[in-house]
Amino acid sequence: MASDVFVDAADAQGDALGFQPERVFVQHPIQDRTDDEMVALADQAVDALVRSICGS
Amino acid sequence: MTTSNATSSTPSSGGGNPLVVLDPTAGKSAADLQPAPRPASLSGLTVGLLDISKPRGSVFLDQIESHLDRLGAKVVRYRKPTFTKPAPVDLRHEIAVNCNAVIEALAD
Amino acid sequence: MGNPAGAGVDVTRQEPARRPPLPDGLIAVVKRDCPTCQLIVPVLEQLAETGPLTVYTQDDPAFPESVSPTDDTRLAFSWHHDIETVPTLILAKGGNEEDRTVGWSRPHWEMLTGVDQLGAGLPEFRPGCGSLSVDPSLSTELAVRFGGSVLQSRRVELARLEDPFEAAFDRGWTDGLPVVPPTEARVMAMLEGSSRSAADLVAEIPPDLHPATVEQIAINAVMAGCKPEYFPVVLAAVEAACTTEFNMHGLLATTYFSGPVLVVNGPVTKRLDMNSGSNAFGQGNRANLTIGRALQLVVRNLGGGRPGEVDMAMLGSPGKLSFCFAEREHDSPFSSLAVERGFAADADTVTVFAGSGPTAIVDQISRTPESLVRSFAVCLRSTGHPKLARAFDAMLVVSPEHARIFAQAGWDKDRLRAELDSLLTIPGVEMVRGVDGISEGLPEVPADGKVAKFRPGGLQIVHAGGEAGLFSAILDGWVGGDIGSEPVTVEIQP
Repeated sequence: MASDVFVDAADAQGDALGFQPERVFVQHPIQDRTDDEMVALADQAVDALVRSICGS
Repeated sequence: MTTSNATSSTPSSGGGNPLVVLDPTAGKSAADLQPAPRPASLSGLTVGLLDISKPRGSVFLDQIESHLDRLGAKVVRYRKPTFTKPAPVDLRHEIAVNCNAVIEALAD
Repeated sequence: MGNPAGAGVDVTRQEPARRPPLPDGLIAVVKRDCPTCQLIVPVLEQLAETGPLTVYTQDDPAFPESVSPTDDTRLAFSWHHDIETVPTLILAKGGNEEDRTVGWSRPHWEMLTGVDQLGAGLPEFRPGCGSLSVDPSLSTELAVRFGGSVLQSRRVELARLEDPFEAAFDRGWTDGLPVVPPTEARVMAMLEGSSRSAADLVAEIPPDLHPATVEQIAINAVMAGCKPEYFPVVLAAVEAACTTEFNMHGLLATTYFSGPVLVVNGPVTKRLDMNSGSNAFGQGNRANLTIGRALQLVVRNLGGGRPGEVDMAMLGSPGKLSFCFAEREHDSPFSSLAVERGFAADADTVTVFAGSGPTAIVDQISRTPESLVRSFAVCLRSTGHPKLARAFDAMLVVSPEHARIFAQAGWDKDRLRAELDSLLTIPGVEMVRGVDGISEGLPEVPADGKVAKFRPGGLQIVHAGGEAGLFSAILDGWVGGDIGSEPVTVEIQP
């Protein structure tokens, strides 16, 4: 899981390692978020996360 | 009775220095690395949450944990010593042995 | 996101490969655990007053305190400067060694240092002790520490809780049997078995045509269980198997049974204690089994040739784990395989042949060569199928008891071969499809009515086996020649 500035970097890393893992991105930035905002990001991401683990 | 610190290394399994071996292959080809089959549901699944130790990540993972818990997964929390280096090999091994799935978060 | 977390961790644990420089003046290397080193401490104190003196200590950095020793407990100085005895006294100038002496000897020390009356009250001489840098229990560790930088292969760090044998299985590195974990120390020891450099290219390994180095082959030889002295044979076997003529790729990809069979000739077979006698095709002999196995692991791990992928064998054969034996030369009435193929009688060679087997030739009654050769011929005719000719190669393995029958009648290999060629020239009408109610066979009768079972050069003959047993053997071969495989012989380089 990463913030959405890492979309391209994740692709490149996958190419370099020869493997593309499932990925879920959340909205950047992260560092200045409040706890409530972090909890909200997690709530928004959880469906995509479950689909990555279990397949659609 | 020498006090030399030039110890001889005895390859050991479990305990002592980790064993380093040389790769006998020509190098991993992409074809070798296939994703594992997807489980049907989270129910009863052991899901590892690997915190890469960037600030704010643990708050995020706490909430993810409570969702996964609600959905029937068994959550195990792990933490990298630092986000600046790859996870230590022992940590990776432990996760691989104990978990059906792993979520690594939160890079930013 | 940080560094790529590869499947293995790159571990750089080598000390600098550079030799530590020699300080000018006198240099002494000592260890506390050496009575002679303790004896000559007053001499060192004397020398420290007369000029520059650097003292390296191998075990206790506090010894000898009075001369401000330099800590060499990592043994970098001692190892790089070939210290075999302590005390060693060296005279150096401009970074170069001018002279050295080992142990304590007043005349030698006075001559080297130019200082008279050294060590008043000490005996005239006293032998030194072994240097820690050549201690047998440390030698492989030190070779890795200081020399391990020659190794170019990726290091794979196994988790503390990971069983190294299971780790190899998990990574697909094995042939189904456990392998010896290829540690740096073991691979360095294996490299000592050959004069070739670790980075030398040996061959392109099919099917992936990966260019394999001596080092990469050494890793697989370690895994196979080879001793370093077997390594030159393994290298020669890999060279032979990867030639275009041998066609390892085709052999791997075929649905047929065959795999590479190695026959070793020459004095090397005795040096390595290989088996050419009783149970030579079976279990028990380390050299036979590990050399054959090393070749197969190389094809698997470096060439990418694996069952279920490129390897499409319908059944394969147990020999595809390992099939390597020595020809029994010392009491053979026949010229050896190597000599027949143009090498000197005292040359060390390995011949690779695409084969499987063995199948039995039972003849416990024949007392004459004429009768015995007919037994051979009728069995050889059936290889692959009695009604097929020029289809597959074969290797005839004549046992000592059978060979004696030929020897007593004065038959050499040429005579045996000529008789077999004649007997194995078969009337085509017997071979044609449909004859005897069997659809298989030759498509048509050849113009002159006869057909040779084997192509020219398609039948190899060797001598091997134990003293007792009125049996010989056939190793079924694969398709021969341009469209299949040609046996290849390579001389073994030390």
